[in-house]
Amino acid sequence: MTLEVVEPGLQTTIQDAGRPNWTQLGVPVGGACDPWSLAVANLLAGADAGAAALEMTIVGPTLRVREPTLIGLAGADLGGVVRGSGRRLEPGRTYSLAAGSTIAFPGGDGAAGARSYVALPGGVDVREILGSRSTLLSAGFGGFEGRALRAGDLVRGSTAPDSPGRERSWPWLDFDPLAAATGPDPITLRLVAGPADGVDPLVAGEWRVRPDSDRIGLRLEPTSDGPPLPASGELLTHGVVRGAVQLPPGGTPLVLLADHQTTGGYPIAGVVARADHPVLGQLRPGAAVRFVAVTPDEARRAFVEQARALERGAAACRADDWDELWLSAGR
Amino acid sequence: MLPSIRPMGESAVLVTLGDTIDPPVAARARAIAAAVDADGRLGRAVPAYASVLVPFDPLALSVAAAGRIVEGLVGRLAGRLAEEAPNAIDVAAAGRLVEIAVRYGGEDGPDLDEVARLHGLRPDDVVEIHASQEYDAFFLGFAPGFAYLGPVPASIATPRLDVPRPRVPAGSVAIGGAQTAVYPTETPGGWRLVGRTAAILWDVDRHPPSLIAPGDRVRFVPIR
Repeated sequence: MTLEVVEPGLQTTIQDAGRPNWTQLGVPVGGACDPWSLAVANLLAGADAGAAALEMTIVGPTLRVREPTLIGLAGADLGGVVRGSGRRLEPGRTYSLAAGSTIAFPGGDGAAGARSYVALPGGVDVREILGSRSTLLSAGFGGFEGRALRAGDLVRGSTAPDSPGRERSWPWLDFDPLAAATGPDPITLRLVAGPADGVDPLVAGEWRVRPDSDRIGLRLEPTSDGPPLPASGELLTHGVVRGAVQLPPGGTPLVLLADHQTTGGYPIAGVVARADHPVLGQLRPGAAVRFVAVTPDEARRAFVEQARALERGAAACRADDWDELWLSAGR
Repeated sequence: MLPSIRPMGESAVLVTLGDTIDPPVAARARAIAAAVDADGRLGRAVPAYASVLVPFDPLALSVAAAGRIVEGLVGRLAGRLAEEAPNAIDVAAAGRLVEIAVRYGGEDGPDLDEVARLHGLRPDDVVEIHASQEYDAFFLGFAPGFAYLGPVPASIATPRLDVPRPRVPAGSVAIGGAQTAVYPTETPGGWRLVGRTAAILWDVDRHPPSLIAPGDRVRFVPIR
């Protein structure tokens, strides 16, 4: 139930489904950058879909298992391995870990995606602040003292595993919202136009994720000469959402991610469809992306489909006879 | 024509009331946000100077359905206001008066002299003007507990720095255009720093965590 951080990795934080109810006080919603993988890891581990888990970024931590535990793993394949035995830890399943063993996530190849989630039974046990356990790095609260994990931190699950030793896989049922993120470049993102002008040049161009991207936003630069973006002025500051593509002056659009500020003053030419937010959270610096325009209703249908797939997976995770159920569901 | 209601993705609509910074318009935005929150069918609304962002659950509502709900709430609010006194909304939305003690100038306010110079004033004049107003907390944004306060008199309104500071100390009192604010925590910032307060603007262990709430009035009190 307890994991000791031996090496922290590049940026490992505690994240859950975020704190949506404090935006009027300027608190970013935050939460996991890839909400789908957070949910899958949690459901596998026997936690609620929105419970707190470890979010690993590109290079994950090395963790010593102090007490036997079950973990759920989902998201990018960051090369997870059990030290000694050499057993691979691939995303999309649970692993039963013996006390004294050490697991490491040294990083996957460039096509692997950026983030992966380690979930524990009952969710990671840290204090809830403003309705969430998510780490908000910019304001320094949530998770472990508002910071990324350090060597020596002890990460505990909230409950004992239901059935220790019993490992399971996620029933994919031919539905993987991350398929695009691990496919060939450029990665296609669906975009709902507006509220400001400028969606046409966004859709016509091809873009690359710049290295100065983080949990607040992905900064894009054009990969080739495309049609120019509209001249950008500053608007009266207004509320903004995750996935919004802001057009600041200078031709480098900013796609708002989990920890974005609640308000902003740059024109928003489009918003990445909610169904593609998991992919957004998986984009590494250097990834090439294209946008394709969809209507709000098309974007909504895609998200409904994703939510239903998650619900089918959750039902399978709750079922007593797991194997039989997920086999029949896949038929 | 206004207000306009436009989708921001499939999970939110943006209500726009105007394009100026105007206390009654900001009060109206807060009143709409309060109506959205009280309604219960939509997510937590985010009011700003002249707009309200209304998020909602796309599994429950389409953009069209959410837009109709918001339109109804905005219309009902407008009808209620028309029956009351023209300034009723200011009274209805008025919050508490928050007094904040400020040490102006010196290390606490490294930009005070420059602000004075830009306006052909003495630093003491800037302090007197800044501290003689009662500001509206239009809305909170940028960072937890950061309240956009105004309007700042034209005689001391000052454009933001061309290059923001990477770190502004918590408690810094600043002027940015015709707004003023207190930085609640250490963050990057581009506003002109004229002073600093020892007041705790943001504390997650306090309820509510923010010293200033949207709709409050704020007065700065100079101390030595």
